[in-house]
Amino acid sequence: MSVIDPRIHQALDGELASEAVPAELRRAVAQLVAAADLLAAPLPGPAASLESRVMAEIRRPAPSRARRVMGWLVTPRAIILRVRPAWSVAFAAVVAALTLFTTGHDGPELAEHEGIAQFVGRFPEAQSVHAVGTFNDWRPGSIALEDQDHDGVWRATVVLPAGTYEYMFVVDGERWVPDHLAERLVADDFGRENSIVIVRAAPR
Amino acid sequence: MKRWVVLASAAFLAAPLAAQSLRGRLEGRIPSAAIPAVDSLIQFASQEGLPTEPLIQKALEGGAKHVAGPRIVAAVQVTLGQLRDARDLLVRAGDQPPVLPAEMTTVAWALRRGLPAPLVERVVAALARPPRAAAMHAVADLVAHRFDPDSAAGLIIEAVHDGVPRERLLDVSTAALQQVQRGHTRAEALAIVRRQLPNVPAPSKPTRGNVAGARRPASPAPP
Repeated sequence: MSVIDPRIHQALDGELASEAVPAELRRAVAQLVAAADLLAAPLPGPAASLESRVMAEIRRPAPSRARRVMGWLVTPRAIILRVRPAWSVAFAAVVAALTLFTTGHDGPELAEHEGIAQFVGRFPEAQSVHAVGTFNDWRPGSIALEDQDHDGVWRATVVLPAGTYEYMFVVDGERWVPDHLAERLVADDFGRENSIVIVRAAPR
Repeated sequence: MKRWVVLASAAFLAAPLAAQSLRGRLEGRIPSAAIPAVDSLIQFASQEGLPTEPLIQKALEGGAKHVAGPRIVAAVQVTLGQLRDARDLLVRAGDQPPVLPAEMTTVAWALRRGLPAPLVERVVAALARPPRAAAMHAVADLVAHRFDPDSAAGLIIEAVHDGVPRERLLDVSTAALQQVQRGHTRAEALAIVRRQLPNVPAPSKPTRGNVAGARRPASPAPP
């Protein structure tokens, strides 16, 4: 810690004339006097009194109702929620149950002896593809495959009673084509082969 | 006495109604000239206690494929012969007449899929209690993938005797096929699956997306 020369104190207190201050201390005394003058000077700008500021607030026109509502809506507020842990666990369980059981019932309800059959075929140039077989009395039109992303792969997912079915694809309403992805094929007694699909009852 | 009169009257009235309903399913779907012949073949089947739905389906298939009438009749006749063969095989293997229509259809399927009649008879005799459809298809799947027919039938019969539920037998054949895909020989694949019995991998469940996107076709016919 540096100790200030006592002659500087005396000069600042007016006990020592400035001419009597030694030359090596005059610069330090001058800097300290300037600093004291700076601190003593009033702050720049008008210094409004408390009364004038209060009166200005009173005179300002009140904001409209919509503006007040908007201000209330956008102003951040702290909300303190006190919950017993038992209630929060029960709430979480209810939310989980609702999520599981409501999303699990999407799509058609399957009866006890029903299952799902998927038909997939690649027909890049086709305009329409139908699955036709013993599941629909060989009636074209009831099971239309779709190519939603236009990549040439046609698909249909249908609910059928569990069992064994023979089928073929009918492309563009006239071309009969076996399902090349089906691993089970059987002669159709008309010179071609039918595909076989085995629909298993969906696990419950 | 009164009961017999009622039953006879019901049968007397039901037969023409059934024939009319059958003609209704065929009319407009197959050449009209072929309908009487197909109809009479179906009547034969009905009188012999054979299932008639496979015959109707064969006729409808021929009509949908724009096959000429005589060829449709011939194909229906072939199907009738397959059902008779199936019934005879089931009786030979030990089923008591009248044989269940579903079992006749199952055996006819197995024969059409290329299983030798003695092999089918062996499976029927080993699995005395119906239904045998899953067992037949499991054996046929393995044989279609060039497994030894006797060994394939042996695995499926053993699976049943070890307590694998009938509806899970297709999982047994699938497990053997998966072992082949992993690089095992067919004999090794059968041995591996046999060691794991009665445990078999669970079938893949339909995904939620598939179930959600599934729809019902208009008026599906029973298999």
